[in-house]
This record gives sequence, structure tokens and C-alpha cells, in this order.
Amino acid sequence: MVYFINDIITGALIGLLYALVAMGFVVIYRASKVFNFAQGELVIIGGFIVWFTTMQLGLSLWLSIPLSLVLAGLVGYLIERIFLTKLIGESVFSMVMVTVGLLILLRGVVLLLFGASVRPFPIIFPLKPLFLGDMLIPMNLLIGGIITIVAAVGLSWFFNRTRSGLRMTAVAEDHVVAASMGISVKGSIAFAWILGAILSTIGAMIFLSGKSLTFLASDIGFAALPVALFAGLESIGGLVLAGIIIGVIQSLTTNYLDPIIGGSLGSVVPYIIMLAILLIRPTGLFGWRTIERV
Amino acid sequence: MTYLSKSGLGGLLAAGTLALATALPMKAQAETTYNLALLSDFSGPYADIMPILASSREVVFDWWNATSGKELGVKLNYKNYETRYDAAQVASLWPGIKSELAPIAVVGLGGPDVAALSERLPEDKIPMFMATAAYGFAWQPDSWIFNPRPTYAHEAAGFLAWMREQRGGDEPIKFAVLSSEASPAYVDMAKGLEVYTEEHPEAADLVEVIYTDVQPTDLTAQMRRVARSGAEAVIIQTNTSIVVAAKRGLQANGADIPIMMSSHNGLPASGKALGGLAQLEGDFEAYGMVIAADEDTEARQFYQTLVSDYGLKAPWNVVTAMGISQALYTVAVIEHAIEENGAEGLTGELVREALFAKPITSEETHGFLPSLTFTPEAPFPLKGLKVNVGTVKDGKITIAATGVDVPDLSKW
Repeated sequence: MVYFINDIITGALIGLLYALVAMGFVVIYRASKVFNFAQGELVIIGGFIVWFTTMQLGLSLWLSIPLSLVLAGLVGYLIERIFLTKLIGESVFSMVMVTVGLLILLRGVVLLLFGASVRPFPIIFPLKPLFLGDMLIPMNLLIGGIITIVAAVGLSWFFNRTRSGLRMTAVAEDHVVAASMGISVKGSIAFAWILGAILSTIGAMIFLSGKSLTFLASDIGFAALPVALFAGLESIGGLVLAGIIIGVIQSLTTNYLDPIIGGSLGSVVPYIIMLAILLIRPTGLFGWRTIERV
Repeated sequence: MTYLSKSGLGGLLAAGTLALATALPMKAQAETTYNLALLSDFSGPYADIMPILASSREVVFDWWNATSGKELGVKLNYKNYETRYDAAQVASLWPGIKSELAPIAVVGLGGPDVAALSERLPEDKIPMFMATAAYGFAWQPDSWIFNPRPTYAHEAAGFLAWMREQRGGDEPIKFAVLSSEASPAYVDMAKGLEVYTEEHPEAADLVEVIYTDVQPTDLTAQMRRVARSGAEAVIIQTNTSIVVAAKRGLQANGADIPIMMSSHNGLPASGKALGGLAQLEGDFEAYGMVIAADEDTEARQFYQTLVSDYGLKAPWNVVTAMGISQALYTVAVIEHAIEENGAEGLTGELVREALFAKPITSEETHGFLPSLTFTPEAPFPLKGLKVNVGTVKDGKITIAATGVDVPDLSKW
């Protein structure tokens, strides 16, 4: 029974990590209605920035982490300025296609700048797990879970209670209308990308702490996708619940069903949930229902 | 007159000797050229090791051209093709490679090459020589794709048999396998070991096959299960990221269970990804090829020759050994084909026939590979299979065992 509870807790924490990465999707979507297919690549970029400042420049973690977050924000800003700002007012589809191109471009840039070697990622969170009796909780996931909840509360408040947040929501509704109301569309979208890149970098630190850094890390972008769609692409608070639900189901499947069937159902089950929720409730659990008058 | 005749005869002989002397090098210079297509991955999952692997196999072709090839009047040209380790990319490139190069052999890299070309090569009558271990799904008769090493499952089975012998006792050795469904080749490794334990329950007990992502989020819970099951070894023949995650999972659980890796994700690569070889103290790598350890072996000496005389820049490690061994057995087969058929008119079909005609001795591959006897029954030698075992001792890679017998495995 102890192990069962332990598996639930670990699953919930992994789900919260997915939720943090999914937050990057949602922040960008809420500000621009653009679904960023390159979210996993932003995680890699963030990971490489942390690796570079820590392992290459030899900075202490206290210095390298804030510096990495600033640099990640700068990358997000540059992406928006170079690739997306000219598309303001164009169809959302064009912007989405740009993110598909970004996915390929960012991989190429990483290859060009850092090469393809597998690298040891710095140990940011203690490797020693937390022991609660017979239960064992990985420290990186535990701290990551707390960060996710704090980030979700903070961002929910920002988007729902502050003028800046509400302006970003207006931008997502319609670029032209928002601009005619005096809202800086460029500024809002740029801020969303900065925020998305910073969240991805925090996700990379939690995900990769003490492990290895390769291209494969971008797969977490896909793992976070079911959480974002399950929660609804506009709901930051909903991501926490969706992440926990998906993480727990995945953990129980991995630990109890996979050994019986001799396969990796655990890797597939989040996508099954995603498809089911899209069939039943296309806007996700907490997504906005829009009524369009024609 | 007699004097004149004698001097005339002498002159004729001298002229003949001169003509022969000039004609011989002329013949050597008028060499026959054949092409080899090298499939490479400079931008995909194996991009990190590709520059080393590519230079290691290329330098062997240069060495062969300068030595045996020169004597035989044959030059092997080669060209790399970027496949991104993607079967679709290989399949789309292949018609162009064939028309551009008309190769007598392909030097392959991994599973996607096998998946893309296994049906085409028999039609095109061009053999492909791999560096890796073989795959169970490709274990078919009359293959045109060949591996110098048996399947990954064979290699792991050889290691497990050796480990059991080292441990002593009659109990089967308990082990777990970490794999991934990301690639058919990864699944194949696990399936082969399942067959091994079914056929040899007295020797090995597979406690669990854990399928995970190629970059796992966390394996602490899975490793706890493995530790609780009493596993004595964890077999990971997939990639370094899984080795790193498994090691961290074992460390988190305080479990000291040795991990066995293969050549492509072996001790140097996984050690580097973990931040140092010391992290893998007591862990193993096992495969049917020389272990690139510090010991002075025949293979090491040949590597030194390639470095000093042919400008090889690659370090002495398992990837270099893989590239050199792959190229060495490829040129050995081509050399057999030339000896059998002459330098002119060599085709892929004749090269393949030469592979079956006579064994490739360990001497021919400078100790990089055991003696290989190919038959049409399988894409890899079925008899006399051996593996070598390397380990980390005091932070250095050392040879733990050589020439370990591989148990028989049925086809799966």
C-alpha cells in the first residue's frame, strides 16, 4: 500500500512537471491564440543555456540560474521579434506554421552552436530523494511541483486580475481590434514569448537536473501536450489539476499495467486521455467556450 | 657475329626486363576502382558519435588502398550519405546512391538502414555491412545485410552467463531489462532476452522488462521495483539517456546493481553523460568486438598505426573500434572476392559470395573481431560466437573478460 501511495505521489509530481511545460503553451496561446509547436525546443534551448552558463562558463548556480532565465527571456523576445511580429494581423494559421518552422530551426541552431554530444546536465536539485518512512520522493520533482503550483497561482492572478494580463487576453481575441483599442499587440505577444521561454527553462532545470542533455529532451513538449489540451488551452489553473490527473494515471499504468502487458502503455495513456477529452469536451476541462454570432 | 648475337640477346633481355619493370608498376597504377556507399548520421540521434565513427572507417579504406589495394591493383572510393538515422530518409536516398555510385557494397549504420534496405538490396544485389550487433527481426536466411556481431540479445546472454559464472552457485542470474518502444530495434533487444530466459530458465531469470521513454523523466520508482525483485544486473542496450536516468534511479534507491551497456551506449558515452567514468564504477559493457581499454592489444597497435601513418584523429574508444572493425571486415570480404574473381568485374553479388566462401579470421581484422564464419542461414555468424566484457575499475575502463562464449538462442 505504501508503494502504491508513493507511485501516486511520484505520478502527481511528474504530472506537475508536464503542467509547467504546458504552461508555456498556454501563456503563448492566451496572448496570441498561437499554438506553439516548438515548445519542446524551447525546453532544449533553456536546457542548453543553463548547461552553458553552469558547465562552460563555470558560474555558480546562484548566478547561472537567474542569468539563464534572463537569457531565455531574451531568446523568447528575439523569436517573437524576428519571426512573429511581422505576422500580427495575419491569420493565426500563418503564425502556427511559423512555430512549426521554428521547431526545425531551433534544433538546427542548437546543433550548430553546441554540437550533438550528450552532455551531463548540472545537478540543480539534490539527487538524494526525500524519504518519508518507506516512501521515496525525488527531490527535483518535489521542488518542481511546488514551483509549478506557485507559478500557476501567480500567472492565474496575473491573467485574470491585472490590467496587463487582461490586455493580453484581449490581444488573443483579435489583434486588429486590440490595436484599435490602444493595446500594444506587439508588446503583449513579445511578453508572452518571454514568459513561455522562461517557463520552459525552469521546466528544463527540473526535468534534466542531474541527468543528460540531448535533443531527446524536446520530447517533453509532446508529453505536456495532453495536459494542455486536457486542461483547456486558456486555463493556467486547470493545468495543475490536469497535470496531476494525467501524471497519476500514467504512473499507475507504468507501475502496475506495463509489467503485466509487457509494453509501454504508460507512454501512450496520456494521449488516449487527450483524445477522449477532445471527443467529449473539445475545449478541455477548463477551456473557454466561445459563442460566435454569424 | 657470335659476340653480336650475344650482345643482341643481352640487349633484348635488358629491354625486356626494363619493359617488364616499367609494366608492373604501370599495371599497379592502372588500378580498378570500386565504390562504397557509407550511410551516416551527422545530424540525428547518433550525430555525437558520427564524426569519430566516420573517420575511423574511412581511414581503414585509406589504409587498405595504400597496402593490400595497391598490391591488388584496386582502389576503393567511398562517399558518405546523410541519413539522419531515419528509415524514410534512407529509402528516399537509395535510388540516387545506386545510380550515382553503383556501389559494390554499402557500409551501414543502424536499424533504419536495415528497415529501409532489407527488401531492396536483394533486388539490387548489393550487400550491406553493418558495425552493430544484429537484430532478431532481421534474422532471416539469404540476407544481403550482414553484422559481424550476433544480436544484442546474444551479447547480453553471453554477459549474463559470464556474470553467473563469476558469481558462482546454481541459481539463475536475476536481471532486468530497460528498453524503449521508440525503436523496433530496442524492442527486439528485450524480446531476444525474453526468449533466452524462456529457453534457459536454469541460467537466467528475467524479473522485468521496463519500457520507458528515450529521455525518461524519472526512473526512481522503476529502479526501486528492480531492486526489490533481487535483480543482480540491469541490461540497457538502448541509449545513454536511459542509462543516466537508470543510474540516478538506482543511486536514489541506494541500490548497487551493475548495469550492462552495449557498444553504442557504452561506458565512455554513458560516463561522459553522467559527468565522469567514476559514476559507472563496477558497471559493464559487453559486445562481440574488442574492448577499447588501456591494455596493449593487437587491435590497439593497429589503431596506433592508423593514427601515426594515416592521420586518424579519433580517440581510442568503443566508437572508433566499431568504425575500424566494420571497415576491416568489409575490406577483408572484398579482398577475398578479388582473390577469388580477380580485380576486374567485381560486383556486389561476387562480394556477397565471397563472404560465405571462407571465414574472416581474427588476424585479418587485427583482433578487432573474433573469427567470423558467415552462412546464408543468418545475417551474422551462428557458431563460435564470443563476447568481450569491459568494466570500470578505479575510474578507468579495463578488460574484465575476453572470448566469453555466447549461449545458443533460438530465432524469435
